[in-house]
Amino acid sequence: MFAVLVISILAGFLGALTGLGGGSIMIPILVAFEVPLKYAIAASMVTIIATSSGSAASYVRERLTNVKAAFYLEMFTIIGAIIGATITSFIQPRFLYFFFAAFLLTSFLGLSGHLSKEVPARMKQDRFSKWLELKGSYYDEAAKREINYKIKNALLGGPGMIVAGLAAGMLGIGAGAFKVSIHELILKMPSKVSSTTSNFIIGITALAGASVYFASGLLFLGLAAPMAVGTTIGALVGGRILNHLPNRMVRYLFLVVVLALIVQMLYKGITSP
Amino acid sequence: MRKSQGEEKLELAISYVLILGVLVSVAIETFGIVSYYFSNGNLDILFQPNFAMRGTNFFSYTAKLTQQLSEGVLTPMQWLGLGIVLLMITPYLRVVASVVYFGLAKNPKYLFITLFVLIVLTASLLKH
Repeated sequence: MFAVLVISILAGFLGALTGLGGGSIMIPILVAFEVPLKYAIAASMVTIIATSSGSAASYVRERLTNVKAAFYLEMFTIIGAIIGATITSFIQPRFLYFFFAAFLLTSFLGLSGHLSKEVPARMKQDRFSKWLELKGSYYDEAAKREINYKIKNALLGGPGMIVAGLAAGMLGIGAGAFKVSIHELILKMPSKVSSTTSNFIIGITALAGASVYFASGLLFLGLAAPMAVGTTIGALVGGRILNHLPNRMVRYLFLVVVLALIVQMLYKGITSP
Repeated sequence: MRKSQGEEKLELAISYVLILGVLVSVAIETFGIVSYYFSNGNLDILFQPNFAMRGTNFFSYTAKLTQQLSEGVLTPMQWLGLGIVLLMITPYLRVVASVVYFGLAKNPKYLFITLFVLIVLTASLLKH
């Protein structure tokens, strides 16, 4: 447990710095230490609840998170997560390694093309999004002004979120980068609202996945407990340091870490029986 | 376009539920890990069925741990279980808080949405 604790602190730290989240880093490392993949996924799912809820608490208070949008989108992610976790409970681990590597590759490629502008241009809100009261405002510290925004295309966002939930539940990760892309590209959220709302949804999505892993008996206490403690500590420290690091360094760190994880998961997938 | 006062109260309540849940559960897990070390002399992780979280369902598992907690007979492993249970309950409670809020605020749209999330989660946690 001590080793897991130390690795989790490191994973939580790197996860917060690179924006990958603890799970995507933790799982490949645990697997390298011969922890069965499904156990690592299940324990990671629980761990994510801690890191997501911890940071969500402060974002919600700063009014950055759009709580109504989160409630609406959660309906879809939890369904996806339950299906995904159920698939993982039955599927051969070998396939999971490849899915994991493929998913990491999407975040690797995602970084090369940067997402939308900070605050999207004003557009007419569609009727369904308006009906859902999906608008909001927050005070932007950098721009030093109140930003008002309206969220669009809520109807299209739903199916996208099922896919995000599916990946999250199946692989034991937050799938934050994927959610953020949907928020920004389809729903046209400002980027700060997008990442904090995604973080808020991750907690409940992880619970939906964890509920399935609980029922399948894949949740091991000796693994999940030190992971939850370690990642929380690591994420706290990482979050503090992030603002003091140059952007370029963070980006390089991200690319190196993700590349190493992809190689590791592919290797495991190929060599697994 | 500012949010209503009620909505700000809900956000504050959610924020407290989340931070409190995480802090208490991490504290309990730390205590569990330390007491595990003192009773076993090592911190080895064993992947045997009795080290997994097990119960008829999540709620009965929680009820059993709570009962044992009140009797003061928790093993280090059960302390770890309690910490994880608390962690899992944290987001669940914030959904409950939202359902209550939208019910009181007479907002049928969001009452339906949050209730849907609550029902799906409850069903999934009841499953064995």
